[in-house]
Amino acid sequence: MQVIDPSIALEGTTPIEEERVRPVTRRTGADRAFRLTTFGAGTLTLVLMGVIGLFLLVRSWSAISAAGLSFFTTSAWQPDGGAFGIAAVLLGTFLIAFVALGFAVPLAAGGALFITDYAPSKIKTPLVWLVDLLAAVPSLIYGLWGRAYLQPKIIPISEWISTHLGFIPFLKAKPGAGFAASTFIAGVVVALMVLPICTAVMREVFSQAPAGEKEGALALGGTRWGVVRDVVLPFGRGGMVGASMLGLGRALGETIAVTLIISPTFDITRLTHPLETGGNSIASLIALRFSESSSFGISALMAAGLALFVITLLVNAVASLVVSRSRSGASTEI
Amino acid sequence: MTTIEHEVLDLNNPAPELPPSSSLTARGVSAWFGDHKVLERVNLDMPAGEVTALIGPSGCGKSTFLRILNRMHELVPSATLSGTIALDGDDIYRGDIPVTEMRRRIGMVFQKPNPFPAMTVSENVIAGLKLSGVKATKSDRRDLVESCLQRAGLWNEVKNRLGAAGGALSGGQQQRLCIARALAVKPSVLLMDEPCSALDPTSTRRIEETIAEIAHEVTIVIVTHNMQQAHRVSNTAAFFLAGEGEPGHIVESGDTETLFTNPADPRTLDYVNGRFG
Repeated sequence: MQVIDPSIALEGTTPIEEERVRPVTRRTGADRAFRLTTFGAGTLTLVLMGVIGLFLLVRSWSAISAAGLSFFTTSAWQPDGGAFGIAAVLLGTFLIAFVALGFAVPLAAGGALFITDYAPSKIKTPLVWLVDLLAAVPSLIYGLWGRAYLQPKIIPISEWISTHLGFIPFLKAKPGAGFAASTFIAGVVVALMVLPICTAVMREVFSQAPAGEKEGALALGGTRWGVVRDVVLPFGRGGMVGASMLGLGRALGETIAVTLIISPTFDITRLTHPLETGGNSIASLIALRFSESSSFGISALMAAGLALFVITLLVNAVASLVVSRSRSGASTEI
Repeated sequence: MTTIEHEVLDLNNPAPELPPSSSLTARGVSAWFGDHKVLERVNLDMPAGEVTALIGPSGCGKSTFLRILNRMHELVPSATLSGTIALDGDDIYRGDIPVTEMRRRIGMVFQKPNPFPAMTVSENVIAGLKLSGVKATKSDRRDLVESCLQRAGLWNEVKNRLGAAGGALSGGQQQRLCIARALAVKPSVLLMDEPCSALDPTSTRRIEETIAEIAHEVTIVIVTHNMQQAHRVSNTAAFFLAGEGEPGHIVESGDTETLFTNPADPRTLDYVNGRFG
């Protein structure tokens, strides 16, 4: 048998590249119009995001260039006096958000599990409505209700915690300190506001727990709780983290309810005692100061806004990353 | 009623501490999904220590009947039923035995292998203990894992990867892992819903060997579409059939050999010879 060496056969010629086919799709006019519309809508969203970021950056530039890195280390807020920074308000923002998540995440997980795995089918739909309806209440109403109704009810609880769990340093109140208008109370109210989104995402995730595995657990003599513990929760872990991060994103930006409740403070020691009177957040700082600031003061507030914008973007980006990488999140959109 | 004689007399029983297998008796069992009746007055004895095969074309109610035997049927929201199912004489639907206890005694292997993917091979085997709150020492658990995997015919393949994820095994191995998991809670009955339908011939043969090995220690009820399989593995068989728009019922049941070679009803003969269905 004769073996043909391709290199000999092709001697003197350059090897011919195979031409790859580029599939041609003819689009109809309607198809083209639809593509253009959806492409436009999608792009517009991204452009808007960019424009907002750019706007904040431009408007805050004079303050940022004046303050430099001290913007992140200064806790006072006196732009016209030259000393201003987000150290205190940023801390306050996160403290309120963490208190909120501390209440909202377990409640949301319990509520979502009840809806997906325990509730009789008759009350499932009304329950879903009710939880979603919580999201429809304006935040101003939450703020008013939190201040007028909830606060007097929470103060005794704060006192009790401070007395009985005071051995944990940050829970111990200074003698004579008040418990009204605190980070803790603001956090409880914000918890109610992030509850619907957390519950909705977790419910969605839990409801996708594979029926085959649930039946497998039941067929082994498992109780409902056993099924939840061994099948639903392991399946939903990623989705729960994602839901919490989404809630965090919301809690960080919550403005009016927090503004109505807290008594603003820039004192780090007071901020780190969440049960005591006094709290702060970036959003409520901007809301409170905006109408009474000089043009430089407004630039400083824009810088604070930029910080909040970047942080919430990051939190949400991490949330979607976590959710999409987990088994339960792969099919869940947030 | 059936006795447990062959259990006691079986000298080859490798695990004498196992509970004796139980009999299941169905009397007048009808089933509905909403208003749609899928099963009509089924009577069937599933004797202790024997393999009972449920055969018949798709949609004739075999799987529904199987799921009625351990109260999985009621997990479908609109599902209802009538009649009685007795486990060694105790009615499982009327509170004689708590449902979790009953499901522990009547294990189930599903059509699609469903190991717990987040658990390791060992954890999968002992998942039933955790689910039913049974405490066991570390060495007991290790012994149980080994003996159950042995009985399910999987031990040699996984003994060096007990810490691997249950989902990382092949389909046939996953199904045998599910059998091991079901055996670990020491059931006296094992229900198998087309356990080989998703598997290749080699894995199928392996599972049939497993069935033959455990048949003397646990009563088996198996749904299968594979006539040869039903013929090979079972002692008793029941032929289900559903007429056009009618609920399924049992055409005839009894000794497998008779049912396959000399059935009383011509439809049975046609079906087991592959002339319809």
